[in-house]
Amino acid sequence: MNLITSAIGQGLLWGLLGIGLFLTFRILDFPDMTVEGTFPLGAAVSVTAVTHGMNPFLATLLAFLIGMVAGLITGLLYTKGRIPILLAGILVMTACYSVNLRIMGTSNISLLGKQSLFTNHFLESLPQYFDSVFLGFIIIAIVIALLALFLQTDLGQAFIATGDNEKMAKSLGISTDLMKNMGLMISNGLIAIAGALIAQSNGYSDVNMGIGIIVIGLASIIIGEVVFGELTMNQRLIAVVCGSIIYRFVLLLVLKAGFGTNDLNLISSIVLALCLMLPTFRSRFHFKRTLEHGLKTPERKD
Amino acid sequence: MKRMLGFIAAMFIFLGFAFFHESTNGPVTSKKPTVGLLQLMNQPALAQIQSGIYTGLKDEGFHNGKNINIDYQNAQGNQSNLKTMSEKFANENADLAIGITTPSAISLADVMNKTPLVMGAVTDPQGAGLVKNLKKPEKNITGVSDQAPLGEQLDLIQRLMPNMKTLGIIYTSSDNSAVTQYKKFKQLCEERHIKLKVYSISNSNDLNQVSQTMMSSVDAVYVPTDNTIAGAMSTLIKNSDAAKVPVFPAVDSMVKDGGVATYSVNQYKLGVMTGKMAGKLLKGQKISKTPVEFIRYGDLTINLPQAKKMGVHIPDSLIQQAQSKGELIK
Repeated sequence: MNLITSAIGQGLLWGLLGIGLFLTFRILDFPDMTVEGTFPLGAAVSVTAVTHGMNPFLATLLAFLIGMVAGLITGLLYTKGRIPILLAGILVMTACYSVNLRIMGTSNISLLGKQSLFTNHFLESLPQYFDSVFLGFIIIAIVIALLALFLQTDLGQAFIATGDNEKMAKSLGISTDLMKNMGLMISNGLIAIAGALIAQSNGYSDVNMGIGIIVIGLASIIIGEVVFGELTMNQRLIAVVCGSIIYRFVLLLVLKAGFGTNDLNLISSIVLALCLMLPTFRSRFHFKRTLEHGLKTPERKD
Repeated sequence: MKRMLGFIAAMFIFLGFAFFHESTNGPVTSKKPTVGLLQLMNQPALAQIQSGIYTGLKDEGFHNGKNINIDYQNAQGNQSNLKTMSEKFANENADLAIGITTPSAISLADVMNKTPLVMGAVTDPQGAGLVKNLKKPEKNITGVSDQAPLGEQLDLIQRLMPNMKTLGIIYTSSDNSAVTQYKKFKQLCEERHIKLKVYSISNSNDLNQVSQTMMSSVDAVYVPTDNTIAGAMSTLIKNSDAAKVPVFPAVDSMVKDGGVATYSVNQYKLGVMTGKMAGKLLKGQKISKTPVEFIRYGDLTINLPQAKKMGVHIPDSLIQQAQSKGELIK
């Protein structure tokens, strides 16, 4: 029971990663590998700032800003340098590793005995694990509300149009390069916040904590889409967070079922692959139905 | 949309239920004390520590399954599992928890603040913020550090390489214990006025090129306790053999893989010490009266064929020492 609460809390915190990735992976429709660098970047920046006595809230905002800078670099390499997006992301991700080591000065910094977003009187008075549920919920609600407002503005609509059909967006006078840079900046800023939150929740920041992060983000997006089906843009943002929570449930089930933890990565890949294939199976199924339908219609015409 | 609203509603109902259920949830009482043992990954050295811990507990009269339950969890190198596993121990109301390696210990300390915690194989307990006062731990944490006897190792290098001008050190920049040891080692070299050249790698793919560059400008190489380099020792030795530069690693297994000699911490003994400490705490010894233990003197391991190949002369007294208390590879 406690572990379910913990899974919900963790799912909410990781959900921010999914939302960040959603902006580039789904709206702009390209794979941004920078995330594996900006996630630990956010952790490194915030934890280092906190250990130097900065207010944890400001430290988390600082992580957001620096994550945005990293996103901007990927964006400039892609739009101005004409480097393919996959490569541009991988380049920045690789560079982030050294940057993170420089920032932290070592490979692992502990937050024990230091202030963090989770060490305040109110959160500590809540029942076990409700601290991350509560804080995660508030942050997710704020982020989704701000994003929903933003996507409704002219700028937001231009951003969506760029991802939908670049040529058409250009013909309407939208600077698509600007939109792509903006998307990468917001996305990586949010992912850096996710890194900062997870590091503060886990109590340490480690230079290797970004490995495999993109799978967790994609899992949130895809599980959300498969489980909840057709939704509007704002609802899809919420679905990503629900997807992240469901993904944590799946991991919990795997751990509880007593599978060797050796197989954990294999199992999460299988879950993800099944979710990715489901729409294909569904359309095959529809295909069969339309076929039957098609065979019947000529008779009706008579 | 309906499905999503349903999901969210179900979640809220659950959370509301859990919120109030929590406060009435009494601790589960069991007669046998439970010990949570958390390990970061599968690795031979860590497995030796683990089996040492079981022996140490037995020495103190605690037999797994008879009068204590050991709940053993292994995070398989994935750090996001550590939290879930620590929470599992907290849920079972474990009477004591042991964390092998720094991330495991930090993860346990983050979740439990009253249960006694024993750190096994934490290189730098103060740096990790686990313990402030090593002699009189002030919180619920104490343990055994796996820090190699660096001073003793440096003595050995100086004794075997009297004409050494430059010493090289190579370590993995993401390995916390390697970085800690590098920093302490650098300090020691400064105190003794030894010229130290520093090389670091980010993963084993860099090792070949970096070590080749290194061999041309140093007279001897020191390798701290470093999992990545330990796994890629043959690459390093291939290059050191070609350049005739002897390698002095911090760990005995690396001597077997082609290093020349070292004084090292026996991982199994380290585990036994950890287990004994845990046993004493289970019997009621106070944490504040249980100082963090370090191993001051290591066992001498010498790789004789490798020393001959490198032209390093090993005095007879050291050979005898290795034969009587340690290991001599012939």
